[in-house]
Amino acid sequence: MSMFSQNPLMNGPNYSFSETPRVGAPEGAREHRFDPYTDNGGSTLAIAGADFTIMAGDTRLTSGYSINSRFHRKVFKIGGTTTDQHDAHLVLSVVGFAADGEALMERVDAMCKMYRYRHGRPISVKACAQRLSTILYNKRFFPYYAYAILGGLDEEGKGAVYSYDPVGSYEREQCRAGGAAASLIMPFLDNQVNFKNQFIPGSGEGHALQERERRPLTRQEVEVLVKDAFDGAVERHIEVGDGLQMMVITNKGIEEIILPLKRD
Amino acid sequence: MDTLVARYSRPAYQQENQFDDIEEYDYAADSVSGPSLKFAMPPVAHPSSWLRAATDDRSNPHCPIKIAHGTTTLAFRFQGGIIVATDSRATAGNWIASQTVKKVIEINSDLLGTMAGGAADCQYWLAWLGMQCRLHELRHKRRISVAAASKILANLVYQYKGMGLSMGTMCAGVTKEEGPALYYIDSDGTRLAGNLFCVGSGQTFAYGVLDAEYRYDLTVEEALELGSRSILAATHRDAYSGGFINLYHVKESGWEKHGFTDTNPVFWKTKLEKAEFSNVTSDFSEEV
Amino acid sequence: MYDAPTMEVLLGITGKDFTLIAASKAAMRGATVLKASDDKTRALNKHTLMAFSGEAGDTVQFAEYIQANAQLYSMRNEADLSPSALANFVRGELASSLRSRKPYHVNLLLGGVDPITHKSRLYWLDYLAALAPVPYAAHGYAQYYCLSILDKHHHPDISLGQGIKLLNLCTDELKRRLPIDFKGMVVKAVTKDGIIDIEFDDDKVVHAA
Repeated sequence: MSMFSQNPLMNGPNYSFSETPRVGAPEGAREHRFDPYTDNGGSTLAIAGADFTIMAGDTRLTSGYSINSRFHRKVFKIGGTTTDQHDAHLVLSVVGFAADGEALMERVDAMCKMYRYRHGRPISVKACAQRLSTILYNKRFFPYYAYAILGGLDEEGKGAVYSYDPVGSYEREQCRAGGAAASLIMPFLDNQVNFKNQFIPGSGEGHALQERERRPLTRQEVEVLVKDAFDGAVERHIEVGDGLQMMVITNKGIEEIILPLKRD
Repeated sequence: MDTLVARYSRPAYQQENQFDDIEEYDYAADSVSGPSLKFAMPPVAHPSSWLRAATDDRSNPHCPIKIAHGTTTLAFRFQGGIIVATDSRATAGNWIASQTVKKVIEINSDLLGTMAGGAADCQYWLAWLGMQCRLHELRHKRRISVAAASKILANLVYQYKGMGLSMGTMCAGVTKEEGPALYYIDSDGTRLAGNLFCVGSGQTFAYGVLDAEYRYDLTVEEALELGSRSILAATHRDAYSGGFINLYHVKESGWEKHGFTDTNPVFWKTKLEKAEFSNVTSDFSEEV
Repeated sequence: MYDAPTMEVLLGITGKDFTLIAASKAAMRGATVLKASDDKTRALNKHTLMAFSGEAGDTVQFAEYIQANAQLYSMRNEADLSPSALANFVRGELASSLRSRKPYHVNLLLGGVDPITHKSRLYWLDYLAALAPVPYAAHGYAQYYCLSILDKHHHPDISLGQGIKLLNLCTDELKRRLPIDFKGMVVKAVTKDGIIDIEFDDDKVVHAA
């Protein structure tokens, strides 16, 4: 038990092990593995528009090849005054290990509530983004296994998306896909949101081609894009499916939209 | 004075209890604390080897948590100040996590830091360094020297040696006392002053171009071009580098940004106008 | 806990009234020479000099820790510690470090001139806290090339000029046989009057036989 001498929770709830300790092994030669993570699959997606942000995630929860839930949320409203978050202005999506994701969401939510209590106004996305980074980094040596994306509207009312790695490096972006199907969705987004590798027809040949001019997408266009991205992911990834949860953040508040996805 | 000396004259190995105070989570402190030195630790005998198994994709390709890596960064001193240039690609294994990373970190309006290795490590500790620099200004009523700032960072990362931090960073600044000053600091505690450094997986390619044409009396235009061309060389040969060329010029009046430029058009311009990169054919119908 | 010798070069030679300390100028990381003018020495007081090699980070931290404590002693007592006292102090620090959670991995040469007897002194220390007083010494792969040369040519009564010639004999052999370029040497001499920098020709080309 010397292994746990540092653990203040020793007498309370303890960590689970993927392997039970061997019995009948030579004295003092027990092998333990500390394996506190599992991957619960799923995918998330966020796109910032001119005056809105859409955050989305599928609702399947898997463990290995088993589907454990067909409706488990990974996109959360945060920073409201009450538990129903009716007046929330930020959205956090988490994907990876569901328990860590939920723990992270609860901490960020508590932090936003403390901010509102102390300063008498809701936290800005910029401030919340910086704080989320330090929250993640404070567990640098025992990380949250969670890929977080934070969405909201910035001081000028423009859509803002901040994406994170598990230990808190972050960047403001136009769009970001996270989780199991990130590698399927992200190239689609590069092409459809940032118009990467799209050129003006007949403008030249090879490297002389002119890039298609970028323009901000409308809310309707982005909603369609999100549905298409997930339909594509469901078709090619086993850990994605069942339902699509979408949060649309505008200056009128946050609207939640639930759409069906294929359930096989 | 002796008590003060006693406190600081202990070697690093005696300051062992720095990680032992794992406390219950404190919500009250939550909304006020900035970058701090309190970290949660896994409840195992060897936290660093556990962390390696969970996060190091080189020693364990199936590790659950992939941390962003891979880079080319460079900085060099010259007559007109310091040029700092980086690429903008972040990779996790073979996956390109981002093509738009800001690898030049603006510590404050005079000091720049660069980012190679763990993205979060660099972002967090350089932000922390910015805080220390500001505190120095408030306490001593004058700007911190680059030598002192870089040493604060070097001593900090040395405290965490062996714990799994991964960073190779350069601190660049111009002060009245020091002139243009450039320091290299990495996570095993090395701190070196120098004229020219390249750091990251693409460093050798950048050194190749930079060393050949580097002179201290370069003009500002020549220096900016050389910095940009060296990064371009690295993005061309190192698969872990790419995206955009991030260029900065540091002067005594502070730093100046010189663009965040897509490598692809720069590559074709260099090839077609200067007839370089002859390994690449621009005629797509040419027989191989 | 044996570790492979490094390509970093540390050399020390004593003579009649001086101790010569030389250290290679290259600071290497992986396949890259990050700096070709690195000074791997620290002065502990007016007549004691320490050269160091080993694990990156540990080296400078340990050397500057020792340097600070030596200087603190001089300030408090208005007297400098002798080279032998410093060598034994350093050995003690290395020994307790070795038994701690994170030992310093640093090899050292400590040279000087005793301020009272005016006798030259040289101490060889490794990271395992071994301490040996020696007339000449080397660390790393340089040991394998240079100790035989010094065994053959060294004499305790040599002058500083002869000492530098001897050092040239060693560095020529290293240039001939070491597989990497160590970028020349920082050379310093400790005499009863203090520590002096020695001009050393690093550009001399030596051809293998």
